[in-house]
Amino acid sequence: MADLLFYLFAAITLISALAMVLLPNAVNGAMCMIVSFLGTAALFVLLDAYFLAILQVLVYAGAVMVLFLFIIMLLNVDEEAPRAKPAKLSIFAALSGFTILSVLVVSLFNNPSALPEPPVIEVAENPLGPSAANGIPFTTSAKSFGYSLFTKYMLPFQVTGFLLLAAMVGVIVVSKRMTETTVKTEQSD
Amino acid sequence: MTIGLNAFLIVAGLLFAIGMLGVTLRRNTLVIFMSLELMLNAVNLALVTFSRYNGTMDGNLFVFFIITVAAAEVALGLAIIVALFKRRETIMVEQLNALNR
Amino acid sequence: MTPVTALTLTLLIPLASAAGIAFFLRRRGGLASTLSVAAAALLCICSFIAINARGDAAIVASWDWLSFGEFKVSMGFLLDDVAATMLAMVSFVGLLIHVFSLGYMKSDKAQARFFGGLSIFMFSMIGIILADNLIMIFVFWELVGFSSYMLIGHYLETEEAKAASKKAFIVNRVGDLGFLIGIVLAYWHFGTTDLTKMEQLTLGHPELVNAGIAAFLICGFIGKSAQFPLHVWLPDAMAGPTPVSALIHAATMVAAGIYFLIRISFLLPVEVLGFVAWLGTAVAVYAGFCAYAQNDIKRILAYSTLSQLGYMAAAFGLGYPGIALFHLITHAFFKALLFLGAGSVIHGCHHEQDIFKMGGLLKRMPITAITFAIGVLALCGVYGLAGFYSKDAILIAGGLEKTVIFILLTLGAFLTAGYMGRLFWVAFLGAPKSDAASHAKESPLTMVIPLLILAGLSVVGGMIQLWPEGLGALIRFDLERLHHAEGYSAMHHDVLIYGSAAWVVGLLGAFFFYGVGAKDDRLARIAPSVFAFLKARLWFDEIYGFYVSQVQDRFAAILSFLDVFLLRGLIIRGSAGLVGILGLGVRTLHVGNLHAYVYWFLGGLLLFWAFVGTVL
Repeated sequence: MADLLFYLFAAITLISALAMVLLPNAVNGAMCMIVSFLGTAALFVLLDAYFLAILQVLVYAGAVMVLFLFIIMLLNVDEEAPRAKPAKLSIFAALSGFTILSVLVVSLFNNPSALPEPPVIEVAENPLGPSAANGIPFTTSAKSFGYSLFTKYMLPFQVTGFLLLAAMVGVIVVSKRMTETTVKTEQSD
Repeated sequence: MTIGLNAFLIVAGLLFAIGMLGVTLRRNTLVIFMSLELMLNAVNLALVTFSRYNGTMDGNLFVFFIITVAAAEVALGLAIIVALFKRRETIMVEQLNALNR
Repeated sequence: MTPVTALTLTLLIPLASAAGIAFFLRRRGGLASTLSVAAAALLCICSFIAINARGDAAIVASWDWLSFGEFKVSMGFLLDDVAATMLAMVSFVGLLIHVFSLGYMKSDKAQARFFGGLSIFMFSMIGIILADNLIMIFVFWELVGFSSYMLIGHYLETEEAKAASKKAFIVNRVGDLGFLIGIVLAYWHFGTTDLTKMEQLTLGHPELVNAGIAAFLICGFIGKSAQFPLHVWLPDAMAGPTPVSALIHAATMVAAGIYFLIRISFLLPVEVLGFVAWLGTAVAVYAGFCAYAQNDIKRILAYSTLSQLGYMAAAFGLGYPGIALFHLITHAFFKALLFLGAGSVIHGCHHEQDIFKMGGLLKRMPITAITFAIGVLALCGVYGLAGFYSKDAILIAGGLEKTVIFILLTLGAFLTAGYMGRLFWVAFLGAPKSDAASHAKESPLTMVIPLLILAGLSVVGGMIQLWPEGLGALIRFDLERLHHAEGYSAMHHDVLIYGSAAWVVGLLGAFFFYGVGAKDDRLARIAPSVFAFLKARLWFDEIYGFYVSQVQDRFAAILSFLDVFLLRGLIIRGSAGLVGILGLGVRTLHVGNLHAYVYWFLGGLLLFWAFVGTVL
């Protein structure tokens, strides 16, 4: 059953990702992107990372993609017009690059002799507790994240918080400057 | 589950390749940006896979951080794209070639 | 005022004057000349205060100037007896020449530059006199070279002055190269360049005296004092204004070479001393012959300077540095007098310098003529005048040490009297031979007074017993040594006869041979080949010209070829070209297209991958 689910979600993820890349309309692409993210979230569930699956849905499929959709609508860009001059070369280059990369990936990981196939480890429901600060074992519980974030990864956690603040300030500054000063200077040009 | 590590990694690698294809093929900056997110996502998948098969929590935590940073990055990147659009009235990369003049 | 303060002031006053003129008074010649003369007077006073305060002991003061780890360069004063004597002479004669210049340069367009140059010259010269170590001497030595370059080239619109200043500078550099090597060797050998310390070292260990170092060090002397084979610059240097010729090329600067020898006399072994003696003798005779073929009043005096420098070098080489110093001082008096007199004549005759176009100046410029005559007699060594005592002592020393040198020097004295007689009879007596000479009139007071003072000094300057107590101890000592030498009285007797005979025969011979107020050179008329030979001056200039054009220029052409093709063409242009081509190539990558950059990025990634996967 689990195997079947893996093939199903993997296929959903890859096909919708390909659709996102190939569909000319950006709104359609964003919708496919959401599907792809949901497929990834499902794969996370298959990997027993429930917390991350939820985060994936909330942050990526939810917040980030909503933001994307808003911007797409705000800018109201047309569909990509057919290229002014035939750019077959660049399309050919892109497709051949993709093919090479895909073949490389598949041939690399589909080769049991080259890479070992480790057994699947049984996982516990709950972590042992705060004492296991170093070398936290994999559990399905969100508690493990809490223990890790406040012990081993304390500093990166704080820095990330600060980064979010900085990003917020940066977004405000960029948006504000562009609406006032730059527009004024553009008009004066 | 009989699905091994490498199957997941193949999915992650193909996802990455598709993202790469989007970056090289598309001309709409927004779609390129989405493709970048796709590539990040592929990396996330690989990290979670390794974490699961390794039996430690560290990979998961990295994914946690990557999601956070990606959120910040998206916010800032979109703000820049909006500013760019206001200034140049376009987000098509072939018209954003001021560096070549 | 402490002696050290006075010495510092002596050194710095002319520098301050030069700086003031250079920065503020370039266009105000009158003010500049006043400032410069005032500085000369002040420094004269300061130097006499210092000399007075000296007593018997030398004034020694030293400051660290540079230090690189173990190696220290100090700046300091060493005012011993020799330095005090020299300082008194330079500052006093310098002052008189400054005053003379006031009149001589009155109508010059570039007065400020001239007086600034005089001040910087006084600064450098006093620096040499006071310096207590070889490096400081060298620094001021080069400054003297610079100021002489500047002053010789004062009339910079004439080709002659330009060429002469360059020649003086370059020829001096040749000597200074050896001097510099000598200093380095001395430092390596003694571990110090301090004169006092080196003297103590050589006193304790006479075997430390090294002929090689001495040979390099006297290169500086040969260049600055215009001895063989670097004498060629001095006659040409007469292209400068006459007071400069008086100050630099007669009284003080060229004497700096002799002074330097006396300062380092403890470093010179016997062989080098002998070489110096023969060198000086040769120059004395050679210059005496050369002077006969010159018609320019200043060039005749220049050759006489060369000749007298030869006498000093000979005295030094014979082991009597005090007598060399004695002759240096007396020579400074009468040679400054002669040059200033020549300046006065040139000024009176509207810059006519050919003696065969003068004549009859005795009536028109009586003071100049009479003082000039005193100078001539003093130079010839007439009994009782300044030149007599010093030249007499040199001849006696020669007679006691080496008879050949004595004979040659006596011949030199005869030659001196001959060409000085030729100069005097032709230029001052008879009838005027040009408009300029017939309209000549006596020079203004500022020019005449220095002449009178110097004439007085030329008369009494040789009487060492009249000198102030603090000066000339070394001279007295060496004279005393000479008096007690074996065979002194007999030799003294001989020299009196031969010396007197030399000047009498020389002067009278010139009188009868050339005649009073002759219109042209009789020697050139009756024996043109001899005259041409003398005029060629042993073809030194031609030899140097040949060397420069045939050897040096070719070598320079090879170096220039190397420079142009190898350095500039290949290395500089080549590397720039390589970078340029690289830049051209890289610029084509810069297409301004986002996708192109992605491809490049992808390419780099693949390369990296291949590298990690050991495919490459």
